[in-house]
Amino acid sequence: MVLAIGIRFDPSVVWEFLFNGVILRGARETIWIALIAQTVGILLGMVFAVMRVSRNPAARGASGFYVWFVRGTPVLLQLLLVSFGLRQMIDNEMFREVLTRWRAAVITFSVNEGAYMTEIVRAGIQSIPSGQMDAARSLGMTNLQAMRRVILPQALRVIIPPTGNEFIAMLKNTSIAFAIGVLELSSAARRIYADNFKVMELLVVAAIWYLAMTTVFSLLQAEAEAWASAGRERPKTLGSLLVRALVPGGRER
Amino acid sequence: MKRWLRRSLFLACVLLLATFAAMACGGEEEEEGGVTPGAGAAVPELEDGTLQILSDIAYAPIEFYEAGSNEAKGLDVDLANALGEKLDVKVEFINTGFDGIIAALQGEDGDVIMSSMTITPDREAEIDFIPYADVGTGILVKSGNPEDIAKLEDLCGLTVAVQEGTIQQDMLDDLNADACSDNKIDVVTFDQNPLAVEELRVGGADAVLADFPVALNDANQSDGELEVVGEQFDAAPYGIGLRKDSTELKSALEHALKEMKDDGTYASILKDWGLESASLE
Repeated sequence: MVLAIGIRFDPSVVWEFLFNGVILRGARETIWIALIAQTVGILLGMVFAVMRVSRNPAARGASGFYVWFVRGTPVLLQLLLVSFGLRQMIDNEMFREVLTRWRAAVITFSVNEGAYMTEIVRAGIQSIPSGQMDAARSLGMTNLQAMRRVILPQALRVIIPPTGNEFIAMLKNTSIAFAIGVLELSSAARRIYADNFKVMELLVVAAIWYLAMTTVFSLLQAEAEAWASAGRERPKTLGSLLVRALVPGGRER
Repeated sequence: MKRWLRRSLFLACVLLLATFAAMACGGEEEEEGGVTPGAGAAVPELEDGTLQILSDIAYAPIEFYEAGSNEAKGLDVDLANALGEKLDVKVEFINTGFDGIIAALQGEDGDVIMSSMTITPDREAEIDFIPYADVGTGILVKSGNPEDIAKLEDLCGLTVAVQEGTIQQDMLDDLNADACSDNKIDVVTFDQNPLAVEELRVGGADAVLADFPVALNDANQSDGELEVVGEQFDAAPYGIGLRKDSTELKSALEHALKEMKDDGTYASILKDWGLESASLE
């Protein structure tokens, strides 16, 4: 394809590599790493958020330090630290064997996500009026029971939108795992174009896959937000419209 | 109606301003015309009278930054400086990722590539080369050679770290398609060679494949932790990479290189780096 300004771009190459084995493997790794890291991150976030608002100063301090340190350093640095730094510092064969590159990436992204989730969950918890906690306590629940049964479920409405955003960012952040030798979507594209020199075409392939993944998860996020708005105004989502259209006698949930 | 129109216009203005600001900040300096050459070959117009060389400057001893300094050093640097002297132009090294370096040259990020780039048919289809040194591959392993590696085929079933986009990566892919197809090598690729070596050091890989002088240098710098197995193999020429249409620059550089060989500069630079064996005279 040659225009007056001399563009060299071959769309057929994009089509050729769109479903290439290496690309597919990269896309699969990207989703896999992101899913695991986000899940662990949410769990860490819930634990550390509860610690952050606890009356125990040690818990508050530990949580505060965790958030401060992890948010204060770039993820790339953390990746290098966990993969190369730890393995260099800890001269133990079994440790080095257990800490593979892939696990180092997942651990780093999980811990990193945990810090951001801590702040999100904490904001969610603190958005619940204190009357709720008082009411729960007056019914005889302990702090922890109140958290689990009353506060956190309501906090979900505030927590889900930013969490969805976090996951979409996570899908894209996995691209720096290349730095420690882990194959994911971006490094798959780079590996191919390092071989056939079709840089733009392969980057377009990767972009298409990232867009596909983030779009699907954006739609899922909209569904989750709708689900969490129980009793309040239910936003129309693509999913609910599809249900209405496709399921015989189907109604909006 | 009016309200959203006003807001859209406001947003459009903000975006336009932001775009202009970005363009103004990131813009290149205007070219100041060509340079007149000294005695010898005619040199085509170079931006600011400088030969801009794209290179992945993390490949000691061919091109590297000495720890803590911002000045590129190495065999390629010395050769480039000598070429610049012959052509009476300044020489500037631009650090560029190796896997995208040919694309960068074609995109005119620089004038030539000098980055320990081996001449291969695939690469020759994209750019032109001037051969300037002959270098082979070396296998780097942990001291004591725990996996008993003597030749390439011994790598089957092992984990080998390598830099992305290098001929050594191609070698491993070929092995996996051929001699190691039943017992594949786990090829782990990194942005730069030092990280591949680090992976070997921390036990994440069993070997590293790199150009022989680089592997040897890595072994020497490793405080006895790493060693090179055997001799260099598959020696092939390094080439200065040029765009296909840089014909004038190519003949100028070829002429300068010949002058360097004739007056002994070439041999003496190779000797400085202990790489007389790489000579292409």
